[in-house]
Amino acid sequence: MTALRIGIDIGGTFTDFVIHDPASQQIQTFKLLSTPGDPAAAVLQGLKKIFAEKGTQHATIIHGSTVATNALLERKGAQVALITTRGFRDVLQIGRQNRPSLYDLSAIPAPALIPADLRFEVDERVTPSGEVSQVLDPDQVAALIPVLKARKIPAVAVCLLFSFLHPEHEQAIATELLAAGFLVSLSSEILPEYREYERTSTTVVNAYVSPVLDNYLSHLEQGLHPQTRLRVMQSNGGNISPGEARKFGVRCILSGPAGGVVGCEFVGRNALIGEETKSTAKNKGRTSVNSVDSMLRLITFDMGGTSTDVSLIDGKPQITTEAVISGCPIHIPLLDIHTIGAGGGSIAHVDAGGALRVGPESAGADPGPACYGRGDLPTVTDANLVLGRLSAQHFLGGQMPLDVSHSLAVLSRLGEELHLSAGQAALGIVAVANAHMERALRVISVERGHDPRRFTLLSFGGAGGLHAADLSRGLGIPHVLVPPMASTLSAFGMLAADVIKDYTRTIMLPGSTPIPNLSALLETLARRGYNEILAENIPPNRIRLERFLDIRYRGQSYELIVPFSEDVYNDFHRYHERQYGYANITASVEVVNLRVRAIGQGTPPALQPRPFKGPRPDAALIGSRSVIFSGGSLETPFFRAELLEPGNCLEGPAVVVRSDTTILMGPSDRGKVDEFGNLFIEVGA
Amino acid sequence: MTYDPIRLEIFKHLFSAIAEEMGTVLRKASYSPNIKERRDFSCALFDAQEQMIAQAAHIPVHLGSMPLSVRAAVEHFAGNFNPGDVVVLNDPFRGGTHLPDITMVSPVFLATHSRKKGSRQVIGFVASRAHHADVGGMTPGSMPVGREIFQEGLIIPPVKLVKAGTLDQDLLDLILSNVRTPLERRGDLSAQIAANQRGADRLMEMVTRYGLEEVTGAEQQLLAYTERMTRHLIESMPDGEYRFTDYLDDDGVNALPVPITAAVTIRGDSARVDFTGSAPQQAGSVNAVYAITLSAVSYVFRCLLDLDVPNNAGCLVPIEIIAPQGTVVNALSPAPVAGGNVETSQRIVDVLLGALAQACPGRVPAASQGTMNNVTIGGQVSISGKGGPGGSQPFAYYETIGGGMGARPDSDGPSAVHSHMTNTLNTPIEALEYAYPLRILRYEIRKGSGGEGKFCGGDGIIRDIQVLTGCQVTILSDRRKIPPYGLDGGKPGRIGENLLIRKGQEIPLPGKGNVELLPGDVLSIRTPGGGGYGVKST
Repeated sequence: MTALRIGIDIGGTFTDFVIHDPASQQIQTFKLLSTPGDPAAAVLQGLKKIFAEKGTQHATIIHGSTVATNALLERKGAQVALITTRGFRDVLQIGRQNRPSLYDLSAIPAPALIPADLRFEVDERVTPSGEVSQVLDPDQVAALIPVLKARKIPAVAVCLLFSFLHPEHEQAIATELLAAGFLVSLSSEILPEYREYERTSTTVVNAYVSPVLDNYLSHLEQGLHPQTRLRVMQSNGGNISPGEARKFGVRCILSGPAGGVVGCEFVGRNALIGEETKSTAKNKGRTSVNSVDSMLRLITFDMGGTSTDVSLIDGKPQITTEAVISGCPIHIPLLDIHTIGAGGGSIAHVDAGGALRVGPESAGADPGPACYGRGDLPTVTDANLVLGRLSAQHFLGGQMPLDVSHSLAVLSRLGEELHLSAGQAALGIVAVANAHMERALRVISVERGHDPRRFTLLSFGGAGGLHAADLSRGLGIPHVLVPPMASTLSAFGMLAADVIKDYTRTIMLPGSTPIPNLSALLETLARRGYNEILAENIPPNRIRLERFLDIRYRGQSYELIVPFSEDVYNDFHRYHERQYGYANITASVEVVNLRVRAIGQGTPPALQPRPFKGPRPDAALIGSRSVIFSGGSLETPFFRAELLEPGNCLEGPAVVVRSDTTILMGPSDRGKVDEFGNLFIEVGA
Repeated sequence: MTYDPIRLEIFKHLFSAIAEEMGTVLRKASYSPNIKERRDFSCALFDAQEQMIAQAAHIPVHLGSMPLSVRAAVEHFAGNFNPGDVVVLNDPFRGGTHLPDITMVSPVFLATHSRKKGSRQVIGFVASRAHHADVGGMTPGSMPVGREIFQEGLIIPPVKLVKAGTLDQDLLDLILSNVRTPLERRGDLSAQIAANQRGADRLMEMVTRYGLEEVTGAEQQLLAYTERMTRHLIESMPDGEYRFTDYLDDDGVNALPVPITAAVTIRGDSARVDFTGSAPQQAGSVNAVYAITLSAVSYVFRCLLDLDVPNNAGCLVPIEIIAPQGTVVNALSPAPVAGGNVETSQRIVDVLLGALAQACPGRVPAASQGTMNNVTIGGQVSISGKGGPGGSQPFAYYETIGGGMGARPDSDGPSAVHSHMTNTLNTPIEALEYAYPLRILRYEIRKGSGGEGKFCGGDGIIRDIQVLTGCQVTILSDRRKIPPYGLDGGKPGRIGENLLIRKGQEIPLPGKGNVELLPGDVLSIRTPGGGGYGVKST
């Protein structure tokens, strides 16, 4: 019998489950309230329910865990010591010597993850050419062991200068430490790249969060049947075995949001690309933005209550190697997800200079927006309610009716301060919130050389549907896609994820290095990747290896990641031209890093199309009422998403209500439901 | 145009996003570690009247001085611009600050595609400024201890480097022939042009999307908003005159302290800052041009405003500045000015904060390290073994080093950070050892250097740099004799020290000076701690 596949994403409020039964190709989803004190409790509770229903415990679980993230954000990781080259134990604290806020005279910097009295030094030195100029003194290492034991330190991070060129010194220290029973994170293993502060920080984060993740996974595994296999989602969009996750906790820092991006990629590919190969007769008139070169171009937009995550997929999800999370640089490859502190719960206020401000403070879930009836702070959600865009009785599937009069009262008060009506103030709040989100969308698109007019905005998360079409209008994004599993897309993405492992190494070679030499160097990383993916039980025919070089002009200190080919040097010039507007063909280049991504293709569920029905959505109509748009009030039909059928067409203005989100279409927008239940909106003028 | 609190907030984001994006382009496309790794640059957006509308939060010392660059460009060309023009300049007496800071100013037109002359309308300007690691002159790095500006490097008055979209190759060749590291300069200058182009494109897009009237209306509202916020701030201080004097150690030529005095007069919602009584301009390079004094005043008031008030020209409207010509805070040609930008600017801030501590006690910290500890090391780097044909080429490595921040009324001062007028990053040790014949032997916090108090000043840094070949070193540093002050009974921070360690022997070096190093020599820079705040309870 085939194993069930279960994606699980733990969020702040809910733990989401998506179950795929490969035998029946059925997909089910449900949510349980999260159990922040013991996150595994909700997971085990949900699994118990699934296994009882299915009568089997034969399953693979792909799990997005916030355990590592929270350990870092709340500074509740393990106690860790650091060992560095003599003279450099303060590198971790000095960082890049800049202050985070230019004009804030009272800012208090976040303390280093490891305090000064747990940072130790040993004599040793490696030169930039990889030669040992001072041999490691083993006695100094041995002398540290009793000190660390006396302090009851469980984990040690080791980061020596130029260790990526000569890892033997770090390895010798590891041998001693491992023999003495410590958990060890080596910088030459976690991030063998130059730039000592970023490498140290990444290695220290690993040492700091891995023991916490280890505890959690052990606790979870104890509650699992031997037939239930566990996999852990990583921040790079792939999953790994729990054994790897325990050693490399830093790779799981953004595991939940990564699931969301992978989910978007999967849903988008089905809706926009899969389309091209099928008969087009059933949905004439659909103009896919991607029809030109069948390249998937999505901007993912996940707006929640307190924050909004955005990312970009240009063929594939974009990767960053310079993330900073909770003040700590983490330079391993992560999905490039940009987060801002604006969401449905963001609070509006008028500042001393008379400007209308929204956020960054949020009303959160408690007291929540004024319409929850517990507080009196005007939020974005209150504004949407006053504008008639949210249906008070259908919020969260009707489980939590909203109090419009409360919203109206707080917005009237805010309006008085601005000499505006409550409705005008509400429009203002939405416009300012959109300005925040537009800026975030610009950061990941135009700032990085992508033209939003060639992309589709994929909106998921609870609050995004109300803002997606307006935001797209502002940025010239022609289409919006809202998938049916808008609020469980992260857990769904985990089912669709591949097994991914990334490998890098700084080599710093001149651009005159012959291609075959580079190829041979890449091969050593590639071979290691192949073997390690094989060890994750992936058959050879599903293993793919991607090779890249980080290249720059000699003298530059910033690299571009270029896919490896015979023509990689010329490709670099082209990439540089596209990204920065100029290339310097005659200048010499430098190959800084080798980069290999090993991918074990996953087995994503096949989405089952439903038959097309007529264009008229009448069966889903649940009422009609006046909604305030920026141009004035319009009588607007409301539809129930669950009753819409593939092929149904919607003319704006319209509101589509789902149990977990609400979608607003402006007067000039047109929508259509595809065979997978996605709502595809053509954004009007 | 009527006041619109919503439009105001939306355009605040739009304008600052353009300046930020210019910065991203400049950082990523530039060549030199000084721009990429250390981020010693700024980008800003101006309206058609040369008023600064938005500046990306990069380097405060560029804050008040960028507008003067734009003004100098406009005055020089009498508004005679074509679409695609880029004006370059670094002359401190005509819109610049010190010679390594090269500024590029681009006019932005409503209709660049239109060939009709009459339809051309300048709708604003974008500008980028970057500190270039070498612009010629008597020492590598162009931060010498000189006697006149001509020794400090190539002086570029406002000239068009790009004319109607076409690069003036002759002019570029002239510039590159006068610097020690021409390839790096060419890359960095290209990156600045790319950043300006990006900013101009975005401003044009904005006008296309919203219409010119709406954009200019929003600009005026944003200026008025920042002005209003500044007036609120000044109004919150009691009327009166607040005086303070502090000193630079010396000018690097004569050993005498250099006094800087400010009298800040608060009257209702406006202020006057009068530097009368400050020292005359000096023989050494500590002279600040007016642009720097303007930046320091902007910075201090900006710090006292709410954090997210936009940086624009409105901040200075309620503030009158009196900086007598020919003094160290408003130097005239041909004074040497390399250190005015980096050292004197810090002291002007100390003086202003010292005065304002009396006007708003409990809101102003004790003195921070008060120097940028500028170190430039130049020489020849062998390029054999790097795949090249062998031989050697010149290099110039420039670094500034953080120190202790002053203690605050309610917390210790942070250690080992840049304070006030700069916020540049350090060069990673591994990056600089790859690039230059240097070894860093030690990079650590200088324990116990922060001033004692109820709250302690932050500690400075120790950075030990060994040279592997013979090198020329220039140091421009201060607070080596007169320590950063404490406040409210707090003790001063410890003064900084510069040492040469030759064959194990420590030889003290002056705060400002040039020195020749032999292979194996170690330069040890130990930066000052911040002042303490309040009396330490026993």
